[in-house]
Amino acid sequence: MRLYSASSEETLRARKLLKDWAGEGYLTKAQYQLLEPETVSELRTTNIFLRLVLFLFTLLIVGAAAGLFFVVFLSRPSEQTAGVFSLIFAAVCYAAAEVAVSQARLYRYGIEEALAVCSVGFLCAGMQIALFSGSPYSAKTDAAQSLVPAAGAVFSLWIWRRFGFSYAFLAAMIFVPFLPGYWTFSHSAQHLIVAGFYATGLAGVAAVRSRHRSDYLEEGYSLVEAMLWLGIYLAANLQLLSLSLLSFNLPVRWWGVTPATSEFARPFYWGTWVLIWCLPPIVLARGFRQKDRFVIAVGAIAATLTIVCNKPYLGWPRHTWDPILLGILLTAVAVFIRRWLAHSPGGIRHGFTAARLSGKDKHWMNVGSNVLGLVSPQSITPEPQTSNPGVHFGGGHSGGGGASSDF
Amino acid sequence: MHETCLPHGPSGTQYQPPLACAAALGCRVSSFCCSDLWLSRTLFIDELGGDQWRSPKAEFSIASSLTHLLGYSYFLSAASLSECTMSNSWAEPVALGSDAGYGHGVPRPGNEGFMTIFARLEQWKQQSKISPEQHAHLAGLSRGEPFSLFLELNVLLYAGVLAFVAGLGWTVSTWSAQLGDLLILTVLSTILAVCFWYCFSRASAWSPAETSAPSPIFDYVLYLGSLIWSLELAYLETRFHVLSGRLDFDLLATAVLFFFLAYRFDNRFVLSLGLSSLAGWFGLTISRWSGPQDAAYRQYAIVYCVLVGVVAAILQRRGLKPHFLGTYLNVVANLLFWALLSGVFNREGYGLWFLALLIACAASLAWGLRRRQFAFVAYASVYGYVGVSSMFLRGISDATAILGYFVVTGVAMLVLLVQIGRRFGRSA
Repeated sequence: MRLYSASSEETLRARKLLKDWAGEGYLTKAQYQLLEPETVSELRTTNIFLRLVLFLFTLLIVGAAAGLFFVVFLSRPSEQTAGVFSLIFAAVCYAAAEVAVSQARLYRYGIEEALAVCSVGFLCAGMQIALFSGSPYSAKTDAAQSLVPAAGAVFSLWIWRRFGFSYAFLAAMIFVPFLPGYWTFSHSAQHLIVAGFYATGLAGVAAVRSRHRSDYLEEGYSLVEAMLWLGIYLAANLQLLSLSLLSFNLPVRWWGVTPATSEFARPFYWGTWVLIWCLPPIVLARGFRQKDRFVIAVGAIAATLTIVCNKPYLGWPRHTWDPILLGILLTAVAVFIRRWLAHSPGGIRHGFTAARLSGKDKHWMNVGSNVLGLVSPQSITPEPQTSNPGVHFGGGHSGGGGASSDF
Repeated sequence: MHETCLPHGPSGTQYQPPLACAAALGCRVSSFCCSDLWLSRTLFIDELGGDQWRSPKAEFSIASSLTHLLGYSYFLSAASLSECTMSNSWAEPVALGSDAGYGHGVPRPGNEGFMTIFARLEQWKQQSKISPEQHAHLAGLSRGEPFSLFLELNVLLYAGVLAFVAGLGWTVSTWSAQLGDLLILTVLSTILAVCFWYCFSRASAWSPAETSAPSPIFDYVLYLGSLIWSLELAYLETRFHVLSGRLDFDLLATAVLFFFLAYRFDNRFVLSLGLSSLAGWFGLTISRWSGPQDAAYRQYAIVYCVLVGVVAAILQRRGLKPHFLGTYLNVVANLLFWALLSGVFNREGYGLWFLALLIACAASLAWGLRRRQFAFVAYASVYGYVGVSSMFLRGISDATAILGYFVVTGVAMLVLLVQIGRRFGRSA
């Protein structure tokens, strides 16, 4: 099913590990030069910047080519015609992506990725235009219209399996919340259906990934499992929708209109409250047990969100000093864990260490410190408070960590 | 020598391999930890990835017919016919199935040559390419033993500091009237004093080279102090008009302090704060960017870029924290391109801006190729394409012409970038 051979991908993984170990000084330069030829893969890869640029230009070309086709050959096409041609474009894009991999041996090269992404986009757009564009709005749910997100989810899953793009799996997950809206108006049922889909996926992934410990598929499955855990948590947390801290308010977009908490039955509401407290420790326990970085990260994110959402869940007022307490808690947890690990023999306790072992960690720290140092002052500067008209604290420009703000 | 060679994280913690392994690693060639490696890591460029090529044996009958529709035929043909730089024909044949008893990654049918990392390590040990100690150490790392929580703990610390300062700012802004100036300033000053006392008392002697932090939380204490300084200064200015309403002095003073702290304590977080403060002083805060028509901001941006770029080059040449150069250049490049593009988008007098954009693109491309930093090649490609496209499409409203332009030039750019990638692959 997968386009790439296991040996090719495993060789690429070995190559990356070798580079990392050499960078950390675990191998000498002479050893690296000796071993590096043994990790040459037939696949063509590139660095992240070229990959991104190639992805962008491929998207541009495909979009422009499709537009040009419609302009030149179909001056005023009917909706059905436009939809059918979109489906043909989807097929062409997918075939081109397959060819780019099977013939040109592209691997995370940007081009084949953009083609695969375009095929999903054209498929959904084509189905929507061809099948449902003329249908009048109905207050009743129309299960047939769920065909579009269902097809999008299934095709995204196929691309994930075929090409191994983790973001294709994420796309499939994003399609899922659009499905239950066509089946039922009950928000509780919608949340349950979405969580059910994710839980089913999680069970499947957990069963499959146990066969891939320490091979090239491990990281991909780890990421997918983490995304599914996060999806289940987001589906379970009813108060997340009302939080304004998510600037993009993504969950609201998934579900459309934000339902009031009173719309949920009390047992369901309090059941989800119990669930959001139970999920983070479960996820963290699984992450630590499996030594899975992504799952641990999701567990930590879920735990933080639970703390943040607890007051709205209970109907308690939020205070301005809540973030201070959260900050102290996070810092204290980090310092405690670090010290706890550091004070053990060799700095290792139960197989965990706080020390840096990989050059990738430093790389991400450098990237993070550069980027976050520039953007964080802007993001943490609060909005002006209307509750206290005597004091104005606004602006907060990026410069100087809000030093340009005025009160 | 080893200590100076090993890269350090911001917190300075570094895993020490077991003693036996450390002894085995003693034969490392010191030149491996050369400045190129340092530069490559500090500039967060994945240039080592390069562009890996081989010459596939594929036939292109189906490929060309399918891809021709999208204009890819040239690209794919060129790619397939390209010379390889990383052919595996000279690689040693690898044995199948030697999993070294780890039980991981069983080879699957149809995957000849499949070999897990454990099998490779075992083979390398048997061939005496790595020592038994290295084998044990690297196999352990591959199994996640030990498992490093370095990144997670750093993210947790960062999030903690950010949440704390955000809450403090929110509280001060909401309750300043009730709390009173004295209490607020006392609290802020106390936190500030403690942070800076901690940093100055714990810091090691200054060095112009990259240095590690004396403790894991050091960088975050410094970051907290810097943010608190900004908060307190803004509060003082707003309540007491210390600088007589001249917020630009406030920003300049903040920028100077941040640059001092960044260089004193070797901290990129604070360096980024300093750069953004300086940009703010130049009138270049993001939220006040009022659009491409504003010539004043454009001029400020260019002056800022020239100033920061020149100073960064001088500092790097003099060996003062040369690893900061990447941070400077990435900020400068992006700002400069934005500024020049805004000039190109002008309805009148855009010729000089377009010329300047082309020069900047050429410089960025040359720098990226010379230093193998593909970020700058990417900047030149994207910003240059946008600028050139805006010039070519100026006044054209025909949809066919516009779409045709994007198809043709897009394919041309794709081919060009792949060719550049090939050269990178060859020289990398």
